Amino acid sequence: MDRENEARRAGWRLMRSALATQRSWLTLGILAGGLWTATKLSVPLLAAAAVDQGILGGDGDKILLYSLIIAVIGVIQGLGTAGRRYTAFRISYRVETDLRERLFAHLQQLHFAFHDRAQTGQLMARANSDIQQVNLVVVLLPLTVATMFLLAGVIVVMVLHNALLAVLSLGALPLLSVAAARFSHRLHPVSLQLQNELGDYSGVVEESVAGIRVVKGFGTEARQEEQLRVEADQVLDRALAGARLRANFLPLVDFLPALALVIILGYGGHLVLQGKLQIGDLIAFNAYILYLLWPLRLVGMLIAQAARSSAAAGRIHELLVTDAAVVDPPKPKSLPRTGGGEVRFEGVRFGYSPGAPVLDGLDLLLHPGEAVAVVGPTASGKTTVARLLPRFYDVDAGRVLVDGVDIRELRLRELRRAIGIVFEDTFLFTDSVAENIAFAQPDASMETVREAARLAGADEFIQRLPEGYDTLIGEHGYSLSGGQRQRVAIARAVLADPRVLILDDATSSVDPTKEHEIRAALREVMRDRTTLIIAHRAATIALADRVVLLDEGHVVAEGTHDDLLVNSDRYRQVLAQAGAAAPVAGAAD
Amino acid sequence: MASDARLEAFASDEELLTRDDAKHLVRRLWRLLDRYHRRIAIATLLIMLWTACLLAGPTLVKHGIDAGLRGKDEGALDLAAGLYLAVAIGGLLFARAAIWSVSKIGEPFLRDLRNKVFNHLMALDLGFFEREQTGRLVARLTSDVDAMQDLVQIGLAQFAQNVFLFLGAVIVILVLSWKLALCTLVVVPPVVWASRWFRRESSRAFLEVRDRIGANLATLQEGLAGVRVVQAFGRERAFARRFRETNEAQYDANLETVRISTRYFPFIEFCGVAGTALIIGIGGWFADQRIVTVGTVAAFILYLNNLFEPVQQLSQLYNTLQQSGAALKKLVALLDTEPKVAEKPGAVDLPLEGALEVDDVSFRYGTGPLVLEEVSVTVAHGERLALVGPTGAGKSTLAKLMCRFYDPAVGAVRFGGVSLDDATLASLRERIVVVPQEGFLFAGSIRDNVRVGRPDASDATVDAALDALGIRGRFLELPEGLDTEVRERGSRLSAGERQLVSLARAALADPALLILDEATSNLDPGTERDVEAALEALTAGRSVVVVAHRLSTAARADRIAVVDHGRLQELGRHEELIRREGRYASLWASWTAAQARAS
Repeated sequence: MDRENEARRAGWRLMRSALATQRSWLTLGILAGGLWTATKLSVPLLAAAAVDQGILGGDGDKILLYSLIIAVIGVIQGLGTAGRRYTAFRISYRVETDLRERLFAHLQQLHFAFHDRAQTGQLMARANSDIQQVNLVVVLLPLTVATMFLLAGVIVVMVLHNALLAVLSLGALPLLSVAAARFSHRLHPVSLQLQNELGDYSGVVEESVAGIRVVKGFGTEARQEEQLRVEADQVLDRALAGARLRANFLPLVDFLPALALVIILGYGGHLVLQGKLQIGDLIAFNAYILYLLWPLRLVGMLIAQAARSSAAAGRIHELLVTDAAVVDPPKPKSLPRTGGGEVRFEGVRFGYSPGAPVLDGLDLLLHPGEAVAVVGPTASGKTTVARLLPRFYDVDAGRVLVDGVDIRELRLRELRRAIGIVFEDTFLFTDSVAENIAFAQPDASMETVREAARLAGADEFIQRLPEGYDTLIGEHGYSLSGGQRQRVAIARAVLADPRVLILDDATSSVDPTKEHEIRAALREVMRDRTTLIIAHRAATIALADRVVLLDEGHVVAEGTHDDLLVNSDRYRQVLAQAGAAAPVAGAAD
Repeated sequence: MASDARLEAFASDEELLTRDDAKHLVRRLWRLLDRYHRRIAIATLLIMLWTACLLAGPTLVKHGIDAGLRGKDEGALDLAAGLYLAVAIGGLLFARAAIWSVSKIGEPFLRDLRNKVFNHLMALDLGFFEREQTGRLVARLTSDVDAMQDLVQIGLAQFAQNVFLFLGAVIVILVLSWKLALCTLVVVPPVVWASRWFRRESSRAFLEVRDRIGANLATLQEGLAGVRVVQAFGRERAFARRFRETNEAQYDANLETVRISTRYFPFIEFCGVAGTALIIGIGGWFADQRIVTVGTVAAFILYLNNLFEPVQQLSQLYNTLQQSGAALKKLVALLDTEPKVAEKPGAVDLPLEGALEVDDVSFRYGTGPLVLEEVSVTVAHGERLALVGPTGAGKSTLAKLMCRFYDPAVGAVRFGGVSLDDATLASLRERIVVVPQEGFLFAGSIRDNVRVGRPDASDATVDAALDALGIRGRFLELPEGLDTEVRERGSRLSAGERQLVSLARAALADPALLILDEATSNLDPGTERDVEAALEALTAGRSVVVVAHRLSTAARADRIAVVDHGRLQELGRHEELIRREGRYASLWASWTAAQARAS
């Protein structure tokens, strides 16, 4: 509970600091709100005067005068509303936009270990729905200030006229705020439950449609229908719970003010009969009560919203104060300009969680221009080796050197420029093929892009795409086959002509008949370049000059593939597990 | 996602309904609401009573002023106040009952609709699912039904109430003083006009916002999903710039909506004040002329609110109505889709076992070209047939006809002498089971997933099926064994394990004929061996048709059918076909060459 409050307070601080940049707009908004309040208060008073002096007093000129003044006030009131609404929304959207940008830029900087733990969906929720929660309370703030003015003004005017009547008629109205806050508080969990139930329900729909081949194949439609019926009933149950809350609350919105009007008519009427109040005042009081309807509901909503918004802001704050663990050194060195791409791991120890090292005492040397394959059983740490070289993670002990420089002494940008990576899963962005290939260097010429594509054996198929290099690919674009994606990823990695290339074997998602084409492309790009190959499949080993066998976090044997086959039992064993045989599946004999 | 709900209420132009559409839909909706007609009548009555209570207030104030205050009659004043209290309480009770009764119609109706549409969807043929995108079908049952939820939750009650309130207020002020009423109603047309303008403009602007939010979320999502690539290539700052662009675009679109509402709301507020000025000015002059009383002027000022609010609210609700109408239209279209593969009246059960005959079958998808032409092949009881051929040659289609996912255009598919389209669907799915390419898992435990093969199977039977394939031990090693939830984080099964579950399902179903679609992707080698062993156990003693993507699989079948260009090109044993030096022999030669290169 304490932590929750602490997070809330941090959330409020975040909102305050975000609002600080909007100070002049806020001032403008409050001024507009003040203007609006003044006009709003004056109309019923003018109407009362018109009734008392004009109609009851039988003075036609005064009637005309007052109604003209009211019309003019109407124009000013309109301007006041325009001002207060515009500033309120402008401020809130500005705060929302800036906060989202800040959050995104921050997330982009955070280290891999952070992103390994965080779920994309969660981060999306922070940047989307949580920021909207913040927006909801920010947009209400200027309005609340104006509402407070109005409330204070109404109370003052009414008390000045008749204190007892003011107390009696206004007394019940705060209940509206209380009821609105309670309603909002109670509805919120029910809405969440309803969302959950709807989530379960759409889960059944989604899997029934996605798995329709299984459903049809086994004829299990009835099972799915029964599951859906249960979920639909649960949705109904929660929806009705929400409906009951609404049915209890919404009528109060009309009832409480009506009660005030009854008191004004009954008690106020007697005051008029006793000559203590004018009929016009009675009408003015009626109008005031109607004015306060919305503002009071709003205050209630704000109270409930504030709790949710500060919690949301607290969650955003938590992300913003997470520091990047992998950062540029204070005094960065540079790579020697003529280095050939020598890579050296010296006594490296590393673990993803403390006390569970994945690599321990790893020594590994890649000579300039050499291709080395790292082979090892599952969980031997071979993918980790590839992740340490571009400083996706920092070593716990030992060091990694590129051309004689400790990578922690280099600017991250320079280090990562010097290293090209082909990831195991080839993530492409929603962009043209050319832009995807030129990812590392967006200003690269078309010749450079094509040269990279040609090297990666991708030029040919790219030209056959509907719009060649301009074809939109990625999640929302033209869908490429696994092998094609692979080759685009290879072209992307070699475009900037890196000193060192890392291949996290990636042929596993490729149609078996296409594997040899990929390997031909790889041979081409690896020529004269230091290459670290993480070999999950035996077939990839053939690309390397030298093989390193990794087991339990360090190198246990090295040599050429043929040497190791002859000399190392463990190597033969690992290869057998990795399925050196041609892939086979399907109906057996 | 608060803003999404807000945006849902806006329909795009192509989603707008024509008048004919609307009429047709209203009739259809009325029929769907068959069970609720009585309750609808009661709810309407309650809403009318609620509205009447709201409308009575200002009239009572008028009587209080005129009879009580101007007539100096305390009794009349107390009576007016007392009656006002009574109608206020009445309004509270009727409102409660009305809102609740509308929900008691709407929510169960939505539940029925969900079930009805889903059951209909499940009954549709596989061809329908292959034509439609998964996302769209899911949207029918989620966002389209949800779009109606807004309407049902509060929209309908509000709609009816606002219509009654507006009409009621107009009638009441006309009765009080038709002259002053006509003068007052002058302000209504500008409000209606402005509200229509606002609805149109804000629809357009909010659609733009919806698109920009979508684009911004896509950038955000991509930036997060691809963060490793971004960092690997040192592109963090460039990507932050890219996000700034879509983010600012969203801001601009939002601000446009603010500009529109900044024009509308002040105008409405001005009209309200102008209306008051009008009532005071003209009403005052009328009062001077003894045409109306002071109480009437006061009542008019109070009724003004009842004229303005409904117009604004109805204008907002119009968008909700349009959206719900568009959703309903899509739902009705789905309900009107007839399943192409349905059970005939008088269908018979298939015999327990027998040969599968494909007899001179031709087939096309919809009105497309023939995909299969005059194909005849028989799978004897206990025989294993492999279908091979290039991608798109028709082998998968042939497999789909063999289990009646589709009906042939010409010819017949028979099992044990009975044509598949004369058979009951239940017996068909029991005798012939299809194991799809990728092992698809439903939410639930491993045991639940295997039980899909036969929903009434006991735990022991499920265990026996897993044992029969020799894979129970593998799953027992998991922390929660067979009760492991397959969709939970951290316990995701590998592709191979999913296939194993899928095979166990088939084993539990224990069909006479098994149709296997071979997976194209590679598995991790350890699992691959388990899958092979399981397949061997599963196929023993059964008729099997396998759609083979690897020729090594085909080579092990009893007979091989080569399908190309929609025709059966060759049929025979592996050795025979190799000797024939035809199409299969050349396929085999290039396959073995590719395999040699690969290793």
